[in-house]
Amino acid sequence: MLTVDDLAVGYGDSIAVSGVSLHVDEGEAVAVIGSNGAGKTTLLRAICGLLPTRSGTVTYDGDRLTGTPAHRVARRGLAYVPAERRLFGGMSVRENLELGAYPDRPDAARMDLVFGLFPRLADRRSQHAGTMSGGEQQMLAVGRALMSRPRLLILDEPTTGLAPVLAEEAYASLEALRGEGLTVLVAEQQVPLALDLADRAYVIEDGAIQLEGPAAQLQGNPDVRRAYLGIA
Amino acid sequence: MAVVLDGIAYGLQLALLAVGLTMIYGLGGVLNLAHGQFAVVTGISAAVLLDRGLGLPAALVLGVALAAVLALVTDATIMRAVYRLEGEARVLLSLLLTIGLAFVIDGLLIYNYPFTQLNVRVPGPAIPVLGVPMRRGSLTASALALAALAALIVFLRSTRQGKAVRSIIQDEEGARLCGIDPGRVRTAVFALSGALAGLAAIAEGLTSSIGATEGTELTILALIVTVVGGLGSVAGALLAGLLLGIIYTLSQVYIGAYVTFIILLLAAMVTILIRPSGLLGRGA
Amino acid sequence: MASTELPVGTADASTEVAAVHHVPLWRAYVPVIGAAVVLALVPVVIGDSRYLMGLAVLGLAYAGYGVGFNIIFGNTNQLFLCVGALAGVGAYGTTILGNELELPMLVAIPASVLVAALLGAAFSWVSVRRQLDVIFVGIVTLTFSLMFLNLLLGQRELTGGETGTVVLYDTGIVGARGLGSYYVFLAVLVAYLTLHRWLQRSHVGWAFRALRDDEVAAELAGIDVARYKVLAGVVGSAMVGLIGALYANYEGFISPTTFELGNVDVPVLVMLAFGGIGTLLAPVVGSAVFTAVDEVLRPFSQLRITVYGVILLVLFLGFRRGLIPTLGGLVRKLTRRG
Repeated sequence: MLTVDDLAVGYGDSIAVSGVSLHVDEGEAVAVIGSNGAGKTTLLRAICGLLPTRSGTVTYDGDRLTGTPAHRVARRGLAYVPAERRLFGGMSVRENLELGAYPDRPDAARMDLVFGLFPRLADRRSQHAGTMSGGEQQMLAVGRALMSRPRLLILDEPTTGLAPVLAEEAYASLEALRGEGLTVLVAEQQVPLALDLADRAYVIEDGAIQLEGPAAQLQGNPDVRRAYLGIA
Repeated sequence: MAVVLDGIAYGLQLALLAVGLTMIYGLGGVLNLAHGQFAVVTGISAAVLLDRGLGLPAALVLGVALAAVLALVTDATIMRAVYRLEGEARVLLSLLLTIGLAFVIDGLLIYNYPFTQLNVRVPGPAIPVLGVPMRRGSLTASALALAALAALIVFLRSTRQGKAVRSIIQDEEGARLCGIDPGRVRTAVFALSGALAGLAAIAEGLTSSIGATEGTELTILALIVTVVGGLGSVAGALLAGLLLGIIYTLSQVYIGAYVTFIILLLAAMVTILIRPSGLLGRGA
Repeated sequence: MASTELPVGTADASTEVAAVHHVPLWRAYVPVIGAAVVLALVPVVIGDSRYLMGLAVLGLAYAGYGVGFNIIFGNTNQLFLCVGALAGVGAYGTTILGNELELPMLVAIPASVLVAALLGAAFSWVSVRRQLDVIFVGIVTLTFSLMFLNLLLGQRELTGGETGTVVLYDTGIVGARGLGSYYVFLAVLVAYLTLHRWLQRSHVGWAFRALRDDEVAAELAGIDVARYKVLAGVVGSAMVGLIGALYANYEGFISPTTFELGNVDVPVLVMLAFGGIGTLLAPVVGSAVFTAVDEVLRPFSQLRITVYGVILLVLFLGFRRGLIPTLGGLVRKLTRRG
């Protein structure tokens, strides 16, 4: 479904990501794990059209995605939930969700699905997004992304600023969404949760892929365990 | 009391003049210093068309349309270069280029139509409002401004496209991720700002008159209101417009003409020094 | 927040500073001396025409404004849209002090220049303290300009309002409007250029360059950004104020329109844009070109403004670094290939 081939992304004179290749097949859940500054965010933002790429290609459903601006990427069925969430603080939960469906009219059925997935949002339909807690904002960000009926959901560190209970709830929702047929690509520092969800995973450090393989295999990998799972 | 009502009337006009400018800033971080010139274009073209025998409604509509078209052309040419930059560089370049544009328009209009004025007279006696007789022209202008501002607010608060505009102002990246194209929206709003400036010119033509030399003064007034209200805030422009309108008329009556403008300028300066985000702008 | 490169050629100013630091003393001042010599010969070329002499002096004055603005904006990114007003402070200050208080020229001028310098200091200091973005500095100084203009128009008894005011006192060699006046202005301009070059070569030049690149990084590196910005503000404003004062004494008559934004700030911007904002000779080159263009366009009255608008658009759309630097770069590229 999504193929990234030998991608290089840079800021000014420096290269943040180079020679990265990965793929996500339909229906899969793929995790990209790595420490702070490893290049996860840069990689995801480049895929979603928020950052220009230096070289390499991104392909989606066989069509070229590289160089497509973010708003068109969103319309092609890829939804991105950035780490900063980027909600519209001055607008209500309902309005945020409605805008997620832009340019289409918001689908009532879709909204119900989101409220079903995140009941707490349903309670706060008219509340302004800027006044909600971190956990609620995360839910809203994911919900908003879902409103466009994406086939591929890309999330950058969805557990940022979330208490452990909320983080687990977040991943539980992602699992539920997978059940509905959604393909998921998630970048995560909190590795255990990501590896539990994912079918496959890539380890990225210093802007390059260091390891890849089935999640279970990586969970068993001693280097991974030492570096990311805190197990000596 | 009469003064306050006059102030509100003038304030509505100021708000109408400023709201387009503030929206453009909110959407793209750019300042259009040719804003007043857009208004003057409407005024002059409507006056010229009236002279040629065109009916009043048609002349006014065409005048406003011309301003909108001019704005579109500006967006398609000058603003393209501006949006390629970011942050401070972007706003600076927008300043410089729109000053250039203002000069181009000013020179052409003042040279070709030095004495042309748009003056729309509404016949009939004054109408008492709250016991104060208000001139019909002034009331019509206020009604026009009120209607336009109300329509704008409804658009922004209740329509999908309007919410898309607000979403870009609140979080541009978030808007992109929702599939909203900031470029298209900016173009549309730029054209809209031209039209709103044109409507403000008509309001000016109803209350007094508008001629080719007033472009810069209108731009500066719009800038003052925008700054005091908060760059990018529509509500701020409304509030600041009303406030400054009342201050203006009070000052005119009780103090004097020269000092009045200084007071308005002082309001802008003090706002920046004390609270740069303005009355209703976000953050510092 | 890392600063973004401004859409005006301050990159060349930085290159100039770097280049000038490693060059022996005499070579660094060659451009200044060269300009001085060339400009000193102008009266010879002009001959007897009083009109052309008046133009030449005006050109020198604008070049002086340019150096001042160069130091303030070109070197420290402070958008002071009040050059005309500062010049007006110098001009009206001297005139009023001389006319009303009957202070001699040599006292009135420094006094009014001091006021201009203090204003510049105030703007810089407040902007730094309140951490104002470039655009807000611009708006604050712009509003000051407009307030000053209105003040001049309003205070008729003191300033003569719209009709202006005449200098009633003895203006010596400056007001004689002969060769002497020209050389007084030239001397001042050369002094300004020398000062600018000296600043560029000193630690001040490095500090300016650093804070232009990235204010936060400069502050962290130990540079007292506030101090340097205020320094630039004071020096530049004093320069502008002095030219204004001298010009008042030269003309013998001043009016508010002389110091309006459109008549001072905008031409100065265009001039510097031409030559490369922040570089040493931009004011001289730009002023020469602008004075010539202005003269050629004089018969076209209001359409002149349109032409300036077009020049602004062309310059900032196509030649961001300044026309001269861009052409210079082109020449370098071509000659390198050969």
